[in-house]
Amino acid sequence: MDRKELEEKIIELVSVAYKTDNVTLETSFKNDLKGASVQMVALVSEIENELDATIMLADASACSTVADLVDLVEDEL
Amino acid sequence: MSVLDKIFEKAKQNPQKVAFPEAMNEKMMQAAYEAGKDGYIIPILVGNGAEIKAAAEERGYDASVFTIVDINEEEYKNKVIAAFVAREDTRLKEKALGRRMQDPLYYAMAMQKVGEVDVTFAGIDYTTGDVLLAGQMIIGLKEGISTISSIGLCDIPGYEGSEGSLLAVGDSGVCTNPNPEQLADIAISACETVQGLLDWEPRCAMVCYSTLGSGQGELIDKVKEALRIAQEKRPDLNIDGEFQLDAAISPAVAAKKVKRESKVAGKANILIWPDLNVGNIAVKLIQQFGHANAYGPMLQGFSSIVCDCSRGAPVSEIKGNIVISAVRAAGLKN
Repeated sequence: MDRKELEEKIIELVSVAYKTDNVTLETSFKNDLKGASVQMVALVSEIENELDATIMLADASACSTVADLVDLVEDEL
Repeated sequence: MSVLDKIFEKAKQNPQKVAFPEAMNEKMMQAAYEAGKDGYIIPILVGNGAEIKAAAEERGYDASVFTIVDINEEEYKNKVIAAFVAREDTRLKEKALGRRMQDPLYYAMAMQKVGEVDVTFAGIDYTTGDVLLAGQMIIGLKEGISTISSIGLCDIPGYEGSEGSLLAVGDSGVCTNPNPEQLADIAISACETVQGLLDWEPRCAMVCYSTLGSGQGELIDKVKEALRIAQEKRPDLNIDGEFQLDAAISPAVAAKKVKRESKVAGKANILIWPDLNVGNIAVKLIQQFGHANAYGPMLQGFSSIVCDCSRGAPVSEIKGNIVISAVRAAGLKN
């Protein structure tokens, strides 16, 4: 999976977990999505299921934007 | 008979299966052994089977008290994974769960999720964060509940409340600044926790610096909104407010300040703090000036019981918390 495909896949998973459209790489978890930890758990679970990458929830929670999350997952693949 | 004695007695009548993913920890193994040998629980040690067996022998424990689950044994692991992924209320799929289950904490919780054990007890080597995260990922939140929280049970010498010297309070440990919906869920969870553990009829007061409109401001608006949500979600529970602390627990003050009928005012057995600042300070006040014993924190909001024990706790305290968690797990089945 190249970077572009990974970005698209993660944007799709974020959209599903947070039940929202218009997610981009610049979307901020804190300011734009304002999600609870429950949604981040759902997101991490789906990343593990769909991408075969085990990422730590604490690391995912520390991501500021969707692009940061893509970087994190890319490191694990 | 003290409150702990009563809880111990209750545990003995219906011992639950408790999984210990930190069995190699000496204090944890001793607490599990004592609780199992005395008949309060059925201890199930989860980890490297050979290592656990050797450690138990070396420490001189009667091996018949423990059941050991070896996380490297594929057949049983696959059975747990199959049962887990077949459930509709789980997120992780086979491969992802298998990876996570290399960690005994996740393994034990997966066993709990599929009913192989009733409760997982951890937190002496794992951090609170580890336990909360694994709990959210594997056990999940209770349906309709939006946040994890905690309550503590205070035994306050000289306090003569509606449950004698006992008072349940929350959240003093987990949810930092709950929004109204979360605060409502903390109250609802607290009612269920005391019902399961102590068989009390919950009388839950949402406290702040105002009694029925005596004060105004956004801090009070949050509590009022939380109360409205809690009452709407669970009209079957006695949740009332907004009250000041004295109006919640003192019949004399309630008679003066609460000029309407209330099943809670003056006789609350559960207090819900508006945020963690209040909760943390209040528990310290109760302990420092009231010389109270505080049991807990008991985590709540998960779909089944998840426990976190204090890392510095002595064996006797760990044993007490193990037994409390087992009784809560038994209460959940009723």
